[in-house]
Amino acid sequence: MAQHDVEITISRTGEVKVHIEGVKGKACLEYAQWLTDVIGQVKSRQLTSEYYEPEVKSRIDLHQDLKVEDGAP
Amino acid sequence: MSTVLILAPVIISNWPAIAVAAAGAASALGFTVKQTAQEMLQQDKQAQQAQTQQNVELELAGSEVLAQGLATDQRIVLTKGSMQIVVERDARGRCKVCASGKAHSKAELKQAAEEFTQKLTQCFIYDKVMRELKSKSFQVVNEEMMQDESIRIHVRRWVD
Repeated sequence: MAQHDVEITISRTGEVKVHIEGVKGKACLEYAQWLTDVIGQVKSRQLTSEYYEPEVKSRIDLHQDLKVEDGAP
Repeated sequence: MSTVLILAPVIISNWPAIAVAAAGAASALGFTVKQTAQEMLQQDKQAQQAQTQQNVELELAGSEVLAQGLATDQRIVLTKGSMQIVVERDARGRCKVCASGKAHSKAELKQAAEEFTQKLTQCFIYDKVMRELKSKSFQVVNEEMMQDESIRIHVRRWVD
């Protein structure tokens, strides 16, 4: 399981700083869009190195090659 | 770190949600609710009755008063000492904050109105954000009021 952290700071004027942590790739943008829809308009956006890392996926590919050799029964 | 966003708040909501935020801001800034919407509505009805009795010949007055009655349903009056702040929905549907008080200068009233507006915005956004976070199954890890009066919320969720 992946841990997704969001730190939200609401200033005394109502301006909001959102820091999305532990979310990589497209999922990070989905969080950002959701929070933008909830709060208001984007004043600035900063993508950090983690954004560009590939999303973690647990996937196992199993391949079984079947060969029928000449002379086999 | 993944993404850092700076967002400017937009308040688009129904009156009850704004009224809750206004009550929260009032409490934080030491204001007390002088009149609730229901009390004001009742007062307006009494005023309507009195007016009807005094102006029985004006048939159109009834519908005009009815419109005023509906408008006053969306208003909260707050007081702190000799200062009064009124939060209401104006005719264009915008939320308006008006500060008044005899013993205060215009600059003081402007400052009070601005401070209240900011607090109302902060309370409104806080309520909305917390509701949305809970709906997405986020759990609050930490929440604190900072020295600069900002509110910092740290939430977390686990995803498969």
